Amino acid sequence: MIQKAILLCLAMVVSLSTLNAQPCDLVLRGRVLHLENNEPIEAAYVWLVESASGVATDVNGNFVFKNLCPGQQTIQITFIGHKEIKQSIVLSAGNSNLTFKMEEEAVALGSVDVHGHREAVQTTTAVSTLYGEALLQSRGESLGESLKRVAGVTTFSTGNTISKPVIHGLHSNRILILNNGIRLEGQQWGAEHAPEIDPFLADELTVVKGAETVRYGPEAMGGVILVNPPALPTTDTSKTEINLVGHSNGRAGNMAISHSGGSGTIKGLGYRIQGAARRAGNVRTPDYFQGNTGMAEGSGSAVLGYSSSKLGTEVYYSFFTTELGILRDSHTGNLSDLLEIIKNGAPFTQADFTYSIANPKQVVTHHLAKIKAHYHLNPSWKLNFQYGFQQNNRQEFDRRRGELNARPSLDLELFTNTAELFLEHNLKSHWTGSMGFHLIQQANSNLPGTGVTPLIPNYDLFNAGVYLMEKYLKGPLELEAGLRYDYRTLSAARYIANDLQEANLNFQNGSAFLGGMYQLNSNLTFTSNLGTAWRPPNVNELFSQGLHHGAAAVEIGDADLSTEKSLKWVNSLEYEGKSVSLELTGYTNQIQDYIFLNPTGQTFVSLRGTFNVYEYLQADAFFYGVDLSGTYQFTDHFNAYAKGSIIRAKNTETNSFFPFIPSDRMDWGLSYEFGKDPERQNRLTLSQVLVAQQSREPDFDLAPAPPGYTLLNLGFSKKLQLFQHDFSVSVQVNNLLNTEFKEYMNRFRYFTSDMGRNFQLKLNYQF
Amino acid sequence: MKNLKKVSLYLLAVLAFGFASCKSEDPEKENEGEVITDVTLKFQELNASNALVGSVLSFKASDPQGIEVGKTPTIQPISLAKGKKYQMTIELTNAIENEDITKEILEEAAEHQFFFLGQVFESSIFSIQYADAGGIALGLKTIVTVSSSTGTNNSNMRVVLRHDLNKSFAGASNPNFANFAQAGGETDLDITFPVILN
Repeated sequence: MIQKAILLCLAMVVSLSTLNAQPCDLVLRGRVLHLENNEPIEAAYVWLVESASGVATDVNGNFVFKNLCPGQQTIQITFIGHKEIKQSIVLSAGNSNLTFKMEEEAVALGSVDVHGHREAVQTTTAVSTLYGEALLQSRGESLGESLKRVAGVTTFSTGNTISKPVIHGLHSNRILILNNGIRLEGQQWGAEHAPEIDPFLADELTVVKGAETVRYGPEAMGGVILVNPPALPTTDTSKTEINLVGHSNGRAGNMAISHSGGSGTIKGLGYRIQGAARRAGNVRTPDYFQGNTGMAEGSGSAVLGYSSSKLGTEVYYSFFTTELGILRDSHTGNLSDLLEIIKNGAPFTQADFTYSIANPKQVVTHHLAKIKAHYHLNPSWKLNFQYGFQQNNRQEFDRRRGELNARPSLDLELFTNTAELFLEHNLKSHWTGSMGFHLIQQANSNLPGTGVTPLIPNYDLFNAGVYLMEKYLKGPLELEAGLRYDYRTLSAARYIANDLQEANLNFQNGSAFLGGMYQLNSNLTFTSNLGTAWRPPNVNELFSQGLHHGAAAVEIGDADLSTEKSLKWVNSLEYEGKSVSLELTGYTNQIQDYIFLNPTGQTFVSLRGTFNVYEYLQADAFFYGVDLSGTYQFTDHFNAYAKGSIIRAKNTETNSFFPFIPSDRMDWGLSYEFGKDPERQNRLTLSQVLVAQQSREPDFDLAPAPPGYTLLNLGFSKKLQLFQHDFSVSVQVNNLLNTEFKEYMNRFRYFTSDMGRNFQLKLNYQF
Repeated sequence: MKNLKKVSLYLLAVLAFGFASCKSEDPEKENEGEVITDVTLKFQELNASNALVGSVLSFKASDPQGIEVGKTPTIQPISLAKGKKYQMTIELTNAIENEDITKEILEEAAEHQFFFLGQVFESSIFSIQYADAGGIALGLKTIVTVSSSTGTNNSNMRVVLRHDLNKSFAGASNPNFANFAQAGGETDLDITFPVILN
């Protein structure tokens, strides 16, 4: 046995030495093209791992390596916005010309092109994308819940049905969500207003963690979330995807279908239709049902696109409608009601399971229609145009007497027009960039008949912005900078009793960023981005006046608030090794005149009882933190992952803490893959979520921060072939041990424990 | 190229239409339909044979603007004689809309209930029982008995109106049920009246 091994070793040494004996004079030529349309990719970075040398592709996508030794080589090709190619090749005399086709990741800013040669997200900021298997695992969850899979992203939620994404401690109007390239304009200001979007329409969810006001306009202070549908087919193909999801907790059912195809007769014509529906009943904590926490949701989209070599156009429409039950006991009459339920730690109302949704509830619909077009003026210059129309209707129903119960207490209708015209260039030299105009017009109306003085006034908003961005790209180095100027007008009017209250306000601000990315070697990339952002005070912060039932609070706006300004610096180090991948992101965010809701310490007495009084104040704030995520592959079958985030946020004027800042958390797991056929893999995953108690509490909170908690999740997924098409089945158990817990970032922690054990079944079929 | 011109013309038309139609509505005055601005407690003496005698004593709590920060409600002290029995009726109005809320409460008797708390009950100065028509526990009509030896001449009574509670919750049939919050629902009224005993 030993002899055999020695012989084998000897044989290897001999063969190696014979290899070395050959002269190192081979030439490797290759070309890098877009997968979709065979257009060359310029400036893709090609790296030969073993010989530790790299080159960038030229205008025609060509690259060449000289003086190579024969033998095994690993070639690695990267280009932003595209999936990395890593391939083993054996170099010999006859094997010198190769073609590589790169598949696009739809992380595009100018998702304007429909035929694949769209620009990648032109950013040097840390970007995390959820797609493929990870996205499949998240199917059936809301946008906020899905994005929790990204390190540094948490949720600010109101029960289990309403969750808002939080990037590096900022949410609502301090982050931006782009629905297929258009700024999602709903009533994001409200803590209990979830984004009006169903992730089923997307094949990629991307989080940009930097301040991106230059690119996307005001408010993109904490980061940007891109919800991008897949690219349209341009050839005669057809693809249908069916998703079915069932949850035991809430007895929820979720179904989504999408179908896309291309025309055979008109070249470049493609379409897609997509729809999803969801129904869920009362959620159960380990011990009891949460009364009135059911929901019903429907969404759909349709898109038609045409593209030729010079012109690309697309017409897109999507809608989203939801009816959400709000935990009955969270709607309290006054402060003593609220304190009673907090003391009890659980709802008083004994609920059973039901699908029916009663008051308090929200009914929200959102429509988006958009037209976009681009035209290639010449190979280097491209003109883009995009127009979007959005209508958002939000009705909130409270428990009220008599016929009023059928009437909403809040009935808002918001129209938004956005238009963008920009010119992009991709010069033969190392420069790329874009410049453009960006208009936003918005009209918000309270529909009369609520029987309640509106919480926010009717208003008209107009925002005009002009921007310029330029990027220098050479080999492993990328540098970029941008400038933007915005002007905004806001005119608001409302009746409070018989008094007409009016206000006309103007805001203007410049913003800028500077970023860079450097590929230290084929494994290690460093990015750094320093950006300013601004956010004019939102209408609720300026004009709120009234009772907030969930918080037993009277909230008072301040029409004299000034603009919030921030400076965010994000640094990221990414390591991609053979069995290890690691991403470390550190950031600081200095915010001047940060607007927050502050308890005044006063109470207000009425016939209804006593209420706390809150007012909007401004102070300088400093946020900083670290996100870490990594994977380690032990063997071909066995791997582990871990991710975590730490955020610190302080009011630097009073040296106190802000409420609802995510506590330290991490999530790690092990997965084991088995199965002989690589097409029919089975995977077993066990993961654990660890959340610490928030020890940095604000001076005032209705209840102390809940203790930390640990949850165990178990998942099994299987890939099958059904009628020669991909079929995947997955079973997940969340909160396997049925642990009772309360999450600090859930506003309902005052009223109830969080969701108990939940079995999920997910089916996905593509044909 | 001709097509392109046409397309851009259409685009412009859509754009012009979109931007022009995007204007907010003029604000309208909202009827505050739900606010209770006036709560009147009416007391009339009951004689030994439970017949109403004497004149009606009326004590009012009012908050003319409904919920508005900076204003506090005006509450008249309740002034009653020791050792007597009264029928108490509660009248609720929305003075802003000139609406009688009492009727609405009566119509939704299954979802509403008054609870009576405060020192007068803790010190056994008052005793109270529901006397609504049909024997329901609602509290729009009650019988209040004032003790003859009260110990003090100044006290207070807290009147709470609960909405959307579980009326069959254990203990909820007691008008002095202090743990009314446990029966679920929310508070529509929570007023503490000073009580003067003669």
